[in-house]
Amino acid sequence: MGGASVQAFRGQANKMPPAATAARALSVRGLRVSFGAESSGGRTILDDVTFEVGDGAFLCVVGASGTGKTTLLRALAGLVRPSGGELLFDGQAIAGPSRDRAIIFQDYSKALLPWRTVRGNIALSLEARGVPAKDRDAIIDELVAKMGLVRARDQFPGQLSGGMQQRVQIARCLAQEPKILLMDEPFGALDAMTRQSLQDEILQLAEEKQMTVVFITHDLEEAIYLGDRVVVLGGSPATVIETIDVGLPRPRNQLTTREDARFLAYRHRLFDLLTHDQAGAAGLAARSPAREA
Amino acid sequence: MRRGILGSIIPILILCVWETLSRTGTLSFDAFSRPTDIASALLSSLMDGSLLVATWQTFESALLGLAIATVVGVLTGALLGLMPTAERITSPTIEALRPIPAVAFMPLSLMMFGFGVGMEASIVAYACVWPILIVTIGAVRAIERRLLEVAEALELSFPARLWKIILPAAFARINVGLRIAAAIAIVVAVTVEIVLNPRGLGYHLILAQQSLKVGLMYAQLFWLCVIGYLLNAALRNVGGRSTRMLGSV
Amino acid sequence: MRFVDPIKLAALAFAAAIILGWQVLADLRLISPIFFPSPARAIDVLISRMADGSIWVSLAATSARMAVGWMLAAVVGVIVGAAIGSSRLARDLLDPTLEFIRPLPASAVIPVAILFFGLTNTMSLTVIAFGAIWPVLLASVHGFSSVQLELQDVADVLGFSKREFLQKVAFPSALPDIMGGLRVSLAIALILTVVTEMQSSLPGLGWDIFYAQRSYRSADLYAGLILLGLLGFVANQLILLIERRTLRWRNLGT
Repeated sequence: MGGASVQAFRGQANKMPPAATAARALSVRGLRVSFGAESSGGRTILDDVTFEVGDGAFLCVVGASGTGKTTLLRALAGLVRPSGGELLFDGQAIAGPSRDRAIIFQDYSKALLPWRTVRGNIALSLEARGVPAKDRDAIIDELVAKMGLVRARDQFPGQLSGGMQQRVQIARCLAQEPKILLMDEPFGALDAMTRQSLQDEILQLAEEKQMTVVFITHDLEEAIYLGDRVVVLGGSPATVIETIDVGLPRPRNQLTTREDARFLAYRHRLFDLLTHDQAGAAGLAARSPAREA
Repeated sequence: MRRGILGSIIPILILCVWETLSRTGTLSFDAFSRPTDIASALLSSLMDGSLLVATWQTFESALLGLAIATVVGVLTGALLGLMPTAERITSPTIEALRPIPAVAFMPLSLMMFGFGVGMEASIVAYACVWPILIVTIGAVRAIERRLLEVAEALELSFPARLWKIILPAAFARINVGLRIAAAIAIVVAVTVEIVLNPRGLGYHLILAQQSLKVGLMYAQLFWLCVIGYLLNAALRNVGGRSTRMLGSV
Repeated sequence: MRFVDPIKLAALAFAAAIILGWQVLADLRLISPIFFPSPARAIDVLISRMADGSIWVSLAATSARMAVGWMLAAVVGVIVGAAIGSSRLARDLLDPTLEFIRPLPASAVIPVAILFFGLTNTMSLTVIAFGAIWPVLLASVHGFSSVQLELQDVADVLGFSKREFLQKVAFPSALPDIMGGLRVSLAIALILTVVTEMQSSLPGLGWDIFYAQRSYRSADLYAGLILLGLLGFVANQLILLIERRTLRWRNLGT
């Protein structure tokens, strides 16, 4: 029973819209990522992943733990080489990491330079861009103000709370002047209050800079709250089970949006898909243990 | 496997180049010798027993010094670890004595003991007691409070408490200190032999150099590396096994 | 009235008691004063040597030798460590050889150094550098090879060249390890300075002690030991200070 349903869901993803070639648009077609040689027990994490992200769109990706969401993001960042399929950004194939595609890591403490202050960390991106030293301060001050880091400006990451550290990482990524923001469960390790305020901040930022964002999370509500569309990843190897268009009005509001009937409907749908996928995966595993191609 | 192959490239390369250069006369400077001569010197000194005798002499002094340092260091360290006040009182004196290199005491030791095992062992003991002391203090301080309370509740005498509860609980960390001390012991012993004491591997080294038996000198250096390497490996194994036996607390 | 920490007072008292005990034992002449001069005599020697300036010559010579040898080891150690640490291939090629040479007592290369350089300063510096390089080298290799993966990713995304990566990310990341290694290296440098001075009668504190023993001037011997202890202590404090300033960011934080 599980197997048939998963197939049906997969069918939907095969309806491919025309390739988005507008600037800052992301096009993923048939993406496949494997590690190790297939013959010697290599694993295929992602297979036949297809979706589009329009210019300035906010896309959320959800899926059960271990599905391969992080691998997908790293592939988009150019940190992982795809084994098959097509990855286009800004009309060009993604061949490696680039300043245009900023990635925000889940473990913020490991992604910041502990020996530099907040200003120093932000300056890192400016140094990479070749911004002359005399111009850096102005840019840093602006970002510091925007991300609410004014009081922490000359402190070291080790002195800051988790939420503040994540803000520093975001500020550093913004200093790159990226064309797209890739975020890997950035608020997962934070408390609920901090998470909510950062969610709204990110929405505001994306709106203001007309930023394209790909946001990974395991929190279904967060995905619906933030995104224009939600891509559901599932199966093993993972593929796109479904794509949902979130028709909720913007600007979003933590109270009213979350109480909206449509919000609850989307949530219901996502929940069903994911539990189905897990049951399906379990069912498939029971029937054929050596499933890996 | 890959490491084994890659790792042997450099030594083999060096040996080949060395041998070739000394045979073709490019490296004719006396101080260089050649691998084949070194190998034969190694073989002959092993077979006539001189190398082994020297090794034993060095080990003898090192072991004696290490034993003294262990007894003094562990006992004092345990006491100071259990009595933080005492530790803070004695700490400045310890910190004042510690920076004096053990080898600086060689002439003093010579005056007191004359040439021989005693002189060397005393220097080794002085050098080894500090790491053992410091590690033991730290290890004893880190013992879970409950264990100490159990010891008191059982009304054990102090020596019994020390032997049955405190030392086993602190053993894992003390062991690390002992391994460090063991390495220091050999190094210090050899150093004393090179500078002053006419016995052991260090002495034979200097002897070979002075009588210009260069091949023999390099052979002895190689032997020292082997000994050190084997010792380290053995210590790591012993450490692992005994920790498992006593359980890590 | 200012409250004085009783513990510190007791510590002072303890140290004073030891010195006093020393003085008493020496006065009692239980051990021949040839081996066991009183602290008073040792201090006497120190003062007279300070007056005639000979102390500064020895101190300067030993300090200079130790410092130069250590700095040589530090520079080479960090550079080579960086090269090895940031390259998997280099590590595989060199690790076994390094593991084999590492346990060799540094003083064992003294005879070789004498063969090549005679009883000179070059010999001494070579031995000191050879011995002092290991802690720094190994710490460097470890530090450079354990840079956080996330930081490597960040550097890749930002488009840093290998040189920029080493300079801005790898080196600062490895600095805590390197500083620890430098501290141990300094201690080794001091030891080897003393040893080589004794071995080759180069002017310095080591030689002073050696010579004092030869001429049975025990007070001079102890004076030399005290000086050495002071030098070691000051050197250690200096490097601890440097470490604290450089690694300021570690000590802050919740």
